[in-house]
Amino acid sequence: MLYADTVTSGPLVHKSGTIIVLMVVVATLLFTLFNLTGTIFGELMRPVIGEPAESGLYGRFATGLVVAILFVLNIVLIGFLKFQFQVIIVWLQLLVLFLAFFYGFDLDFNFIRSKVWFMVSQGVFTTLYVSAISIALASVLAIVGAVAKLSSNGFAYAIASFYTSFFRGLPLLMQVYLIYLGLPQLGYVINAVPAGILALTLCYGAYMTEIFRAGIQSIPKGQWEASRSLGFKFGLTMRRIILPQSLPLIIPPTGNQFIAMLKDSSLVSVIGVWELMFLARTLGNKTFQHMEMLITAALIYWALSMCLELAQGRIERHFRTKSH
Amino acid sequence: MTFTRRALAAATAMTLVALSAGASLSGEALDRIMGNKMLKVATDANWAPQSFLNENNEMDGFDVDVARELAKRMGADVEFVTPAWDIITAGNWNGRWDVSVGSMTPTKERSNVLDFPVVYYYTPAAAAVHRDSGAVSLGDLNGKVVGATTASVFELYLQKDLTIDAEGVPSFEYQIDPGELRSYKDSTAVMDDLRLGDGVRLDGMVGSLPALLNAIENNYPIKILGEPVFYEPLAIAIDKGDAEFNDKIAGIVADMQADGTLTALSEKWYGIDYTSTR
Repeated sequence: MLYADTVTSGPLVHKSGTIIVLMVVVATLLFTLFNLTGTIFGELMRPVIGEPAESGLYGRFATGLVVAILFVLNIVLIGFLKFQFQVIIVWLQLLVLFLAFFYGFDLDFNFIRSKVWFMVSQGVFTTLYVSAISIALASVLAIVGAVAKLSSNGFAYAIASFYTSFFRGLPLLMQVYLIYLGLPQLGYVINAVPAGILALTLCYGAYMTEIFRAGIQSIPKGQWEASRSLGFKFGLTMRRIILPQSLPLIIPPTGNQFIAMLKDSSLVSVIGVWELMFLARTLGNKTFQHMEMLITAALIYWALSMCLELAQGRIERHFRTKSH
Repeated sequence: MTFTRRALAAATAMTLVALSAGASLSGEALDRIMGNKMLKVATDANWAPQSFLNENNEMDGFDVDVARELAKRMGADVEFVTPAWDIITAGNWNGRWDVSVGSMTPTKERSNVLDFPVVYYYTPAAAAVHRDSGAVSLGDLNGKVVGATTASVFELYLQKDLTIDAEGVPSFEYQIDPGELRSYKDSTAVMDDLRLGDGVRLDGMVGSLPALLNAIENNYPIKILGEPVFYEPLAIAIDKGDAEFNDKIAGIVADMQADGTLTALSEKWYGIDYTSTR
């Protein structure tokens, strides 16, 4: 909710019949244009329109009209429900639509079943530990970077701003290559996994530096002055006064970075790390079943992101109640 | 001026480190392999039937079998690493892996950064089009959109910039003059675009004949166009500058050729003996 409001109004679709009729007309036009006769809807309409493939414009229109009426009816009915139920039902409906879309690809489920455990035990495991280590290191880097960026020391500021500028300014994929291929030129041969972690850490550390800086800066000057007048030193002020107050502001965007990192870790597959994306590309290669593997990996990534979203929501709630 | 002098010293030191890292010592790789009893092999995991992940999620294929045999005859265990192809061909491996048994064509550019101890087989490279295509000869692809794997010999062929520097390879001519050349990450990606339909994204492609035949066997709606465009010698590659290791590999592969092991492996994976041209 944007703001707590005492003025409530019913859903738009319950107000007037004109809107419902208008929606049916528009939806019918759209569905007729898309031509649904080749889909399962056309099959279901067979008693009315005859052979779907030969039903022509009439078949297209009739199918479109029926689907449109069902669609609008669905919206009107959902309008009667309570907020939570609306959310659940719309989620479920969208999910079914998505799965039906994937199902339409005619996938080989036996093949997926035979590979999915390896994708989880090798791919998800690698993806998770690479991301987890990177995000932990990036957070440390971000705090140091943020303090340096806010400091009055020109040296610290220059280094921190150069760092954020450089690592935010290069594509992550290029950083992966630069670190993996470039560091050996300086005499240090880095392995694939550490190179990937280093690239992710440096890149996300740069983004998170800005998030942390904004969070710290959002605390009013008076807080600093008050803690100084109490005789607090910098470290104590930061730990006890400033960071606890800025955390509620820092956490939502940091959660975003977590989720983005999970998926960006797929870029380290180019240097041969067997994480989820790498397996998605290679497992189906011999038998040309890569669509199966890509979709499986997509769903796994999504499930992981959802877990992170839930965790983020919990942490946010925790800090909100604490500070307000 | 202590500051500048120190900076200068640091810069010099760093340059020296960089230079010394670039030059590898003779015999170093061989010593490392024999010392660890471990041969690290770089292969592509996306290049069936040469190298791919099999049902048991292990590396398998012709190249993998050759690498296993190579390690066995060196008395070492084998370990596979799977960096992107352009990282392998870029050279400067710095001991990350010892050898590439990855069906690599010994081009002139590559020989600047890599050594090619031995050519172990030859595959025909061929053009392919969608099944519905009206093209009947290679010339029909002139001015059309043609795809190939990036940094591959097929791409170089289409760019008319292919120099094959190996013995016993028949000469070839550039028979295709593509209007637009599209580069892809691997051959599967090229074939996936070609399968969408004639001219949807691609009008044709150039790739290795075994890979194309493998795709056709897996019901890809594509067909081979005309005769093979060139014969591609495929070599084992090592990092530059280790003559001992070079000779060792050349010797082992010559043995494998002589006792028929290589022919048997080729027939196992391709059904055809590709270890010599025709």
